[in-house]
Amino acid sequence: MQEFLQHTLNGLSFGSIYALVALGYTMVYGILGMINFAHSEIYMMGAFSCYYIARFLKIDTPNPLHFAIGIMAGALCAGLIGFLVEKLAYKPLRNAPKMNILITAIGVSILFQFGGQIIFGADPKAFPNLIEDQNLFQIFDSPFHLTDLLIYLVSFVSLAALSFIIFRTQTGRAMRAVSSRPDMTPLMGINNSKIISATFIIGSALAGVAAVLVSIKYPKIDPMMGVKIGTSSFVAAVFGGIGSLHGAVIGGFLLGLGEYYLVGYGASTYKDALSFLILIGVLLYKPTGLFGSTRKEKI
Amino acid sequence: MKNYLIFIVLVVVLGAILNYFLNSYIQAIFISFLINAIMALSLNFITGLADQFSLGHAGLMAIGAYTSAVLNKEFFSDAWTLIPIGVFAGAFLAAAAGYLVSLPSFRLKGDYLAIVTFGMAEIIRVLLLNWNHVGGPRGYNNITKFPEFYYEYGFVIFLLAFTFLIMYRLKFSWFGRNLWAINEDDIAAEVMGLEIAKTKRRTFVISSFFAGLGGGIYSHHLGYISPGSFSFIISVQILIAAVLGGLGSLSGSILAALILTFLPEALRSIRGNTIDLRMIVFPIILILMMILRPQGLFGRKEFFELIKWKKIRS
Repeated sequence: MQEFLQHTLNGLSFGSIYALVALGYTMVYGILGMINFAHSEIYMMGAFSCYYIARFLKIDTPNPLHFAIGIMAGALCAGLIGFLVEKLAYKPLRNAPKMNILITAIGVSILFQFGGQIIFGADPKAFPNLIEDQNLFQIFDSPFHLTDLLIYLVSFVSLAALSFIIFRTQTGRAMRAVSSRPDMTPLMGINNSKIISATFIIGSALAGVAAVLVSIKYPKIDPMMGVKIGTSSFVAAVFGGIGSLHGAVIGGFLLGLGEYYLVGYGASTYKDALSFLILIGVLLYKPTGLFGSTRKEKI
Repeated sequence: MKNYLIFIVLVVVLGAILNYFLNSYIQAIFISFLINAIMALSLNFITGLADQFSLGHAGLMAIGAYTSAVLNKEFFSDAWTLIPIGVFAGAFLAAAAGYLVSLPSFRLKGDYLAIVTFGMAEIIRVLLLNWNHVGGPRGYNNITKFPEFYYEYGFVIFLLAFTFLIMYRLKFSWFGRNLWAINEDDIAAEVMGLEIAKTKRRTFVISSFFAGLGGGIYSHHLGYISPGSFSFIISVQILIAAVLGGLGSLSGSILAALILTFLPEALRSIRGNTIDLRMIVFPIILILMMILRPQGLFGRKEFFELIKWKKIRS
């Protein structure tokens, strides 16, 4: 029971990280119909920019204010990088065939991974300890950590903010409009490229928040850190139905729980293969995922 | 007939030059160029001609490489004369694996197909990591090599010529025209009575066969393989070669493989302390190609067509 509870808590905290990153994939897919392979590298850049800003401002001691600044820095820098990637790499290809955009995304991803290894160095760096981890209380003998609580809180706040933006503001309404009929929205006075930029900024900022949270829990960052979380979150997005916001969140939680149960009860070496098996299974038997909608193709 | 004779004479002369005048370093690079060319051709056949995006060619290559290496070591008692049998067996196994993957996945399109093939490659890699008999993550050592350079050279050149000829003949046959129709507009092609799923499946099996061929010879060229030799980055390198040469242009793939194999060696003197500089140069090439010249060096045209076209104009 204690073990089970421990896996559940870990699974939920990683699930909320997956949910945050998966939202970035699903938002970009919903609006542009492309898989943003570079999203996992934007996540990595979020962690690194927070690391350098914390060192630059000398706020690498445990303090709630430093924690808040760290999260903000990660979100802002990741948002900026997402904006730049979209402007420089994807915008020139707006009307190109889908395969060209996908190839560009892979190129951007590899460029960040290896450029990061040259600029930051390939060896892992110790992330500053922005918040003192402590044991809050015990449930059935399993400790409940402050970092886990913070991960739940921050991801909940980010999800609430996102759902406010998407469902309660003009920008969010425009985003939903562009995602359903990108050919009609310019006639309604919506500037498509501004909305696409906004989507990239919001999705990337969520990834930045997730990156800082993960780095605080596991304080070791390196330029390849995005690959693992990126693929798992992508699987979560597809599992929940790519293009659907609720689907991404639920898919993230389910995948996080599933992975931790699998690792906890043996078979940890097959963890990566299993998430891909889930992915292939979902794509073959229910390609729209749990909550996705089908798009009729017209000629 | 005359063209074939010229080709054979050229190959023999090149082999003699490589064997007697150049050192083993350049010989090894030349062989890896030939292997890269086979892999680029194999990917170009499915991605360039039929517009079906595969990110899993490293996995198919791994199947070919491991099959051939294990066969030769366990059953043929390291006889180098039997290497061709192992290589072709690996190719057939890769084709079988490609068939299994293609059975369900060619209901999918575009991005999704790329993800399924990517997942397939990752699953193959994880299975190899957990297979202790072939060393697991430590890799498989002491694979039989060719004793002399010219045997290896002759065999790999033969494989490349075989691959190129089959693909070239297929490209300009009715089958190639079917692929072109799918490439242009698959819905229209289906309306015209083309069995899309079947055609795509056949293409993928052929492509897998040649990927296995390239993988098999790769293992005997290096003498050492590990699951890390067939990671995602290898699939991307194959993709870069196919894109640079022009998707749909077979001779373009060979030229691109030539550039992408020899250029990094020339850049070796300015490489960083720990990381290959080519992993920075390659993605930049890829992104700039996609923005500035998405059709690649040759587009869909073959090298011969370009020459003829120039003659007519002048």
